[in-house]
Amino acid sequence: MIESQRHSYHLVDPSPWPISGSLGALATTVGGVMYMHSFQGGATLLSLGLIFLLYTMFVWWRDVLRESTLEGHHTKAVQLGPRYGSILFIVSEVMFLFAFFWASSHSSLAPTVEIGGIWPPKGIGVLDPWEIPLLNTPILPSSGAAVTWAHHAILAGKEKRAVYALVATVLLALVSTGFQGMEYYQAPSTISDSIYGSTFFLATGFHGFHVIIGTLFLIVCGIRQYLGHLTKKHHVGFEAAAWYWHFVDVVRLFPFVSIYWWGGI
Amino acid sequence: MASAAARSGLRSLAARAKATAAPAARRRMSSSAHDDAHETAKWEKITYAGIVTCTLLAAYNLSKGHPHFDEPPAYPYLHIRNKEFPWGPDGLFENKHH
Repeated sequence: MIESQRHSYHLVDPSPWPISGSLGALATTVGGVMYMHSFQGGATLLSLGLIFLLYTMFVWWRDVLRESTLEGHHTKAVQLGPRYGSILFIVSEVMFLFAFFWASSHSSLAPTVEIGGIWPPKGIGVLDPWEIPLLNTPILPSSGAAVTWAHHAILAGKEKRAVYALVATVLLALVSTGFQGMEYYQAPSTISDSIYGSTFFLATGFHGFHVIIGTLFLIVCGIRQYLGHLTKKHHVGFEAAAWYWHFVDVVRLFPFVSIYWWGGI
Repeated sequence: MASAAARSGLRSLAARAKATAAPAARRRMSSSAHDDAHETAKWEKITYAGIVTCTLLAAYNLSKGHPHFDEPPAYPYLHIRNKEFPWGPDGLFENKHH
């Protein structure tokens, strides 16, 4: 921190990343719509937009890590920002997934005449909840236990143990995603098979996507722990990843009970 | 006189409390580091128990083989196609070869 500074706040330097991220998002949206409507150049614009967005995410977060880890701008007061931000983000994610469970319950509690008046709809083959779905359910909470192991290891100053614990967390996450892929491959229905397919794949697919995002977040934390970025007293990035991971592993129980089990028998 | 004695007694009690509070507080700090080491070991064991459970469940589950389904009748709400995707008639993950 600069010696002459008389307050504990971080006054950020001008940065090109907000505008480059906005342009990337614009190109992705316009390119995506063009591509889905088979306009010429749609695929090119979509790809450029996504590359631009991913590049912006990389360099923006790189800058934040430099400001916090190397330049020491993230005082206790500054750390409150990302903490509130992470919590509000997770709350918004809860609402996002809540909508999909609402859609599933809305369609299954009073199935319409058009699908035979029954749930699952007539002709739809459903997965046995006690096979792959049951197997996949305890893997994420085990991964949640491993991230708690990593957290206590960081607090206890056991740096190597924390790296091992994060490796275990990420491996369990990858196994879970692998089983989810296997389940989708074996599934008798697709997203275009009635309201059952739409609600089933929307809810479980978005949960799986969140698992992948959380896995990437944990991989970054593992690399940072290996490089010695995280200390006993300052590891906000890790805490945010752990909160997010617990959200993802707890949310897994809802599709298991309401969609696979209740909605599949 | 009595009140002065009581006051001094209280003061010495407070002083003693302060003196004992300080090392107690320090002890709590060192024991919290110990707690973290203890918790680390505990959660490591819980993780291993989770991995063992998942492995056993996977071995049992996968040994049962996977189910096969018959093609359902062509109900109008199955295999919905409103228009072609940019890459062709089927969704990216919709080709089923069982």
